[in-house]
Amino acid sequence: MKSLFKQKEFSIIAIIIVLSIILSFVSPVFLTIGNFIDIIEANTVMGILAIGMTLIIITSDIDVSVAAVTTAVAVIIGSLFGYLPDSWLSLVIIFIAAPIIGLVIGSVNGFLVSKINIPAIVVTLGILNIINGLVLYFTNGRYLNSTNFPESFLAFSDFELFGIPILIYILAIVAILTWYILKHTFIGRSVLAIGGNQQSAVRVGIDYKKVKLFVFAYMGFLCGVAAVAQTAYTTAVDPNGLLGLELMVIAAVVLGGTNIHGGRGTVHGTLLGVLLLAIMENGMILARIDTFWQKVVTGAIIVFAVSYDHISYKRKQAKLAKIEVEV
Amino acid sequence: MSQYLLQMKDISKTFPGVKALDKVELEVKPGEVHALIGENGAGKSTLIKILAGIHKPDPGAKFYFEGKEAEIQKPIDATMKGISIIYQDLSLFPNLSVAENIYIGQDSNKGSWSKIDWKAIKSKANEALKEMDVDINPNAIVEQLSIAQQQLVEIARALAFDSKLIVMDEPTSSLSSGEVEKLYKVIENLKNRGISIIFISHKLKELFKVADRFTVLRDGKFVGAYDANEVDEPKLIQLMVGRSVTYEKNQSENKAGETIFKVRNLSKKGNFKDISFELKKGEILGITGLVGSGRTELAQAIFGVNNPDEGTIELFDKKLSIKNSEQAVKNGIAYIPEARQIQGLVLEQSVTKNISLPIIKRIRNKFKLINRKKEKELANKYIETLDVRPALPDHPAENFSGGNQQKVVIGKWLSTDPNVIIFDEPTNGIDIGAKTEIHKLMRKLADDGIGVIMISSELPEILAVSDRILVMRKGRISGELDIKDATQEMIMNYSLQGLGNVKTPDISVQSGQVSQEV
Repeated sequence: MKSLFKQKEFSIIAIIIVLSIILSFVSPVFLTIGNFIDIIEANTVMGILAIGMTLIIITSDIDVSVAAVTTAVAVIIGSLFGYLPDSWLSLVIIFIAAPIIGLVIGSVNGFLVSKINIPAIVVTLGILNIINGLVLYFTNGRYLNSTNFPESFLAFSDFELFGIPILIYILAIVAILTWYILKHTFIGRSVLAIGGNQQSAVRVGIDYKKVKLFVFAYMGFLCGVAAVAQTAYTTAVDPNGLLGLELMVIAAVVLGGTNIHGGRGTVHGTLLGVLLLAIMENGMILARIDTFWQKVVTGAIIVFAVSYDHISYKRKQAKLAKIEVEV
Repeated sequence: MSQYLLQMKDISKTFPGVKALDKVELEVKPGEVHALIGENGAGKSTLIKILAGIHKPDPGAKFYFEGKEAEIQKPIDATMKGISIIYQDLSLFPNLSVAENIYIGQDSNKGSWSKIDWKAIKSKANEALKEMDVDINPNAIVEQLSIAQQQLVEIARALAFDSKLIVMDEPTSSLSSGEVEKLYKVIENLKNRGISIIFISHKLKELFKVADRFTVLRDGKFVGAYDANEVDEPKLIQLMVGRSVTYEKNQSENKAGETIFKVRNLSKKGNFKDISFELKKGEILGITGLVGSGRTELAQAIFGVNNPDEGTIELFDKKLSIKNSEQAVKNGIAYIPEARQIQGLVLEQSVTKNISLPIIKRIRNKFKLINRKKEKELANKYIETLDVRPALPDHPAENFSGGNQQKVVIGKWLSTDPNVIIFDEPTNGIDIGAKTEIHKLMRKLADDGIGVIMISSELPEILAVSDRILVMRKGRISGELDIKDATQEMIMNYSLQGLGNVKTPDISVQSGQVSQEV
């Protein structure tokens, strides 16, 4: 089993390498450090969301509201900017406010899923529509540009350390924090335990409702972080900018080896999944393939990855004999 | 302190329509292995689930642990008191390591954000496993282990929780004989440490090797508690089966006619092996055996939803090749499943629509639309012949009682004009009056020339209805009995021990031979 698990990550690394070699022939720009930094920076938001989604999928649930929640938080901080002075204090306020707003919305999802016991797909689809409607009502779909952004925020968004943009550091912090929770805290192990066997979890005294509430609330928290990252990256707020991102996020998680039936998944696997999707997108742009085809390809990859996962799961189940037949 | 570690008295449990337990008691002494035995449905599992905090007993139950009155509201209460339950299906996390599986519950009261001390967990797990004298790598992922090893991991977890009482539900059912010996050694070891064990098993012979005392349940009632040296196997079987429920005898005077249905050497890996039998026109063939003996899997194989690896099925001397349920229906085979509410009915739909469902293609008009008039006639016909009450064809099936729902399911399958009907636990969860009605109905179908196979765990029912009885054990037919010779004790014997080294599947057994074996 361990070997298969490793195999999964190994095979995704192999695909990334093969794809990179091909793309380096398509475009000489591809295999440069600058291009790779650009790719990662451009996909910070997807990476942050995918890391949160990993925990949710490990518990065999799903959250399709992530892009909407991120947009909602971005719109709120975008309009806050008009009232904030141009000082580092504004930056601190934004960094506290955004994750908290996200946390609140995520907790609503978590409450409805865990306490009221509504299927997560229904809850998050509902929240997705409510948020999208509200965002359009308040913004009229208008793009918010950087004219009233505080200077401090613009400076932050351009900040680089050792030639690496600040957003990549944020992604790294999120990744390390989540890895630590998953590996070293009781609640993190409970996430895996619930995904492995919910009934067993109840029998050993794990409060699975609390754990479900946690994964959705944490997802919301990361949506807040992602909103800051998105606003910094585009130095604008686009109410329609993230439409449909949730599918890419889910695709990245599943590609990264998280089992759609729950119980298995890692942060580093998810990061590899994000990287693979990002390289494909970048490659298609460099190869001047129509952007519409990117959606087709992403969709096909999701279907393929989930089918593969499901088939191997069923095969494993079939191997478990039900009755010991006397020979 | 009292003589007992655990005392449960006046434990009753009523489920809607059924009294599962009626003033049962269970007393376990410190450091003893206590066997809890009874037939399927005797109430063992319900009793254990009450002990585990999964079910709440009816008011009036008395519960003492370590001499003090105790209350168990939810599973973790039992665990915290030192009661661990090892369920037949185990409570492990297949995706986590052995060490984690043993210790994961320990941190639940330290708080969500407590840091996991991996080093301590691994060394403690190693210790616990060593203490039990078993060789399992604490870093291994549980799903890579054999069932026997997984069971040992559960026992190690129980020890990690400082359990004083460990309940093992059918722990040997999926172990090889070598593994069983190993388990007994572990149990002996636990016993010496003063830990009490409640052992649930159907394997009486084995129980005598480990058990100090027996508690026998029958039909939800307490039969008695006995020291191992005051009872023997035949005595226990007698105590377990004693006739408390009696049904009207329902056998027919009519002679069984020609053979209509033959099953030859049907096998499926992990389900059943070498199953052969014949079914004659006008007879009811009862198939029984313990839960997990492969009865339902066999029935589903005949119906095409659990395709066998080998073997043939013949109807009227014609070989059938059935790959799915649609083909089965076409060939005149009907299967009335055990869980009728889930598998047999569309609960929200009307009786009429339920009855017409399997033959909807046959009652279409020339525009390929459903002929409502025909559908209604059909439904009314079966409502009348089967006496569905109240006779309201347009009411949703969920509004009817269990017995009448079962009649609707039967009506639904009769509409397909079957040659063979398989009933899987046809009277499960319905009251005794309705049971007798269903029995009569099955007899009427047989008299009308349909071959009837009835699967049932309830021995009085098997004896009241069948003309011939097949007993299954571990996926094989362990005995075939004519109704004239059959007794509950004999059937129990075949269910529990089988015939040992007899190889041929078709065995007609004389009662004399059986009593010798006992």
